[in-house]
Amino acid sequence: MFNNAAIIGVGQSAYTRRPEPGQSTHTFIRDAVVAALKDAELDAAEVQGMAVTSFSLAPDTAVDLAWKLGLSLRWLLQDTNGGSSAMNMLGHALRGVEMGAASPILIVAGDATGLAGYAKLASNYNIATREHLAPLGHGGPNGVYALVASRQMKKYGLEKSDYGHIAVSQRAWAAGNPYAVYRAPMTMDEYLAAPLVADPLSRYDCVPVIAGAQAIVVAHPDRAPKKRPGVRVRAIRHSFNYDNQSGDGLQTGISTFANELWQSAGVRPDDIDLASIYDDYPTMVLAQLNDLGLVPGNDLARFCRSEIAERTFPVNTFGGMMSAGQPGGPAGGLNGIAEAVLQLQHRAGERQVKDARLAVATGYGMTMYRYGGTAGAAILERAP
Amino acid sequence: MTPGVGIWRCTKCRTGFFPQPLLCARCHNDRFETDRVHDAVVEEISVIRHMLGQENWQPRRIASVRTSDGQLITVGLTGEAGPGATIELYQEENAPFGRDKT
Repeated sequence: MFNNAAIIGVGQSAYTRRPEPGQSTHTFIRDAVVAALKDAELDAAEVQGMAVTSFSLAPDTAVDLAWKLGLSLRWLLQDTNGGSSAMNMLGHALRGVEMGAASPILIVAGDATGLAGYAKLASNYNIATREHLAPLGHGGPNGVYALVASRQMKKYGLEKSDYGHIAVSQRAWAAGNPYAVYRAPMTMDEYLAAPLVADPLSRYDCVPVIAGAQAIVVAHPDRAPKKRPGVRVRAIRHSFNYDNQSGDGLQTGISTFANELWQSAGVRPDDIDLASIYDDYPTMVLAQLNDLGLVPGNDLARFCRSEIAERTFPVNTFGGMMSAGQPGGPAGGLNGIAEAVLQLQHRAGERQVKDARLAVATGYGMTMYRYGGTAGAAILERAP
Repeated sequence: MTPGVGIWRCTKCRTGFFPQPLLCARCHNDRFETDRVHDAVVEEISVIRHMLGQENWQPRRIASVRTSDGQLITVGLTGEAGPGATIELYQEENAPFGRDKT
């Protein structure tokens, strides 16, 4: 438990499939920073630290961003762990505030790669991808997770419609999120009729790439706006390259620390009111939920058909990236954390989970070769 | 086109790797010798039907395969082989491919 650090503000830019002229990674990040500082009731001059992640900030780096935002800092971090960057930055920021290195610390993530930029990124993600996968025409992460999905369906007896329950359910949640790029209801028939992208994945199994940014503020709890206590983090854990890509990818790095996470948080999976699970693909939502011990009996099919389909266990209440949109990848992990904060502060509007007190949020990323190699998770709590 | 797929074998514990490592993940030795594997069994297949940013894309097959030496690698698949089939491996520059075994 972090006693001297909490999340005291969240903010985001607009999300859009097609940025307009003049919009860039930098402007989306600026908009998210302004929104988060306003939410935290802070002046920019008070910010002492910043962490940033982005696939499309280059050639600028974190210090260039600090310069362009007019922030003079004593704590600065740039994270490169893709979908788990947000969770990683949150861990560093919490420890930074707790230890007195800096407070407040701004955590920001954003991207505006554009579809062509994302395609280029997907083919040059790392050396293994550039040399051994891209020349096959592997389709970027869609091809990688298509193979993982086939494996998961075989191992757990899943049907295509089981993934559909996740997509349809998250779209229903998205209806209550004004920032989501896809908010219109989706039926199971529409999900099943969508064209295949990389068998067995079809259009609504693949996260839509958008432009946008997210920001949160971590500070000493005393800095939280009056009458709105910050959200506390009971425990946070991370994993990097957990199995040297030698497994089946159906377990994530979360499996290496889940027991320790719950023990450290002093709560059990049954206590959780909602989950923000990094959802680049439904397959990986199920893998992470299972690693966390949130799927009774490891029965993924039953879980999809009951808790997910009936929305009795709230997962990705902002619509997830599959409906709200994925800004690049790194920022995707941050919108799940921000959603958990809004839910725990009972500020989530029409998508509010009643009496939400405890949430789990995850990050998952860096498709190194056969699946992702980084993961993180945190247990967040509404302040008493 | 080169028959087989090149792997890197640890000179100490003899574990074979693909892609190339810097240290052996099993014994952390830093010496490797090159070797080639020629056969693999197909485990999962996907057909890539859409490629971001590409027009006139022709669907192509990829597969996760287990080589006769144990490495799990992703290959481009030519021919009709399905899950469970043994295929013949070959390489085009650094990219591994598999085809029906003749």
